[in-house]
Amino acid sequence: MNSDERLDQLLRDAMAAAAPQLSPAFDARVMQRVRPHRLTLVGRMVIAVYTAVAAGMVVWLMRDLHMVSIAAAVGIGVPVAAAVSSYGRRLLR
Amino acid sequence: MRRYREPVFRLAVSILGQEFAPEAEDIAQDVMLRVHHSLRSFRGESRLGSWIYRIAFNQALNVKVRVRYSRPHVSDQVLETTPSPNRGPYDQLRDHRRQQAVVACVAELPEVYQSALRLHYWLGASMSDIAVMLDAPENTVKSYLHRARRLLHAMLAERGFDEL
Repeated sequence: MNSDERLDQLLRDAMAAAAPQLSPAFDARVMQRVRPHRLTLVGRMVIAVYTAVAAGMVVWLMRDLHMVSIAAAVGIGVPVAAAVSSYGRRLLR
Repeated sequence: MRRYREPVFRLAVSILGQEFAPEAEDIAQDVMLRVHHSLRSFRGESRLGSWIYRIAFNQALNVKVRVRYSRPHVSDQVLETTPSPNRGPYDQLRDHRRQQAVVACVAELPEVYQSALRLHYWLGASMSDIAVMLDAPENTVKSYLHRARRLLHAMLAERGFDEL
């Protein structure tokens, strides 16, 4: 046996431990984090009530405003809210 | 994407070393999530596998810097699981020390050599698999292994194991 073969054998002996395996729960853990988080029934009810109250408040606060001002507020507010929610969701990942 | 989880784990564990299988699993999980979230930004300039393995390689290197000093890198447990033929205590002690020296020397090699050696000798990966994981041609992988063995030779001789 020449020295290269001896080193080869030595490496094989030194690394003879069983190769580790992924744990069986690996897929479940990944899938749990990949799937979108679904709100519970209570959570959905809270969101629904909040949306209804917020919409009512907006209508009541804007009742005396001019149509152009309402359109401008909606035109600016909606994209800003969408951008903020998208940014927030990305932060949560 | 599922078919990459095992190779990513093996790549991570080959970089971190035999002691750090749980950390390698965390890396595999992080890589899978990262790939899932940024799959849309993958521009297809390289193969999907190369892209995933590059993420895994870099992530494992980052983690290695953090965990390197948290636990001893050379594992006695690893060496104890090595089958030892029934020989005298002196021979067994000498083999044990030599194997310990090998594992310690491997940990001092450049990262890519360590990874190639562990993938080849420990995890039994083929040359073509190692080439894909390290994103290098097969001949380059062979040259990594050759250079790693030469370096190991020199390092072992320095430590007094010059009978190789």
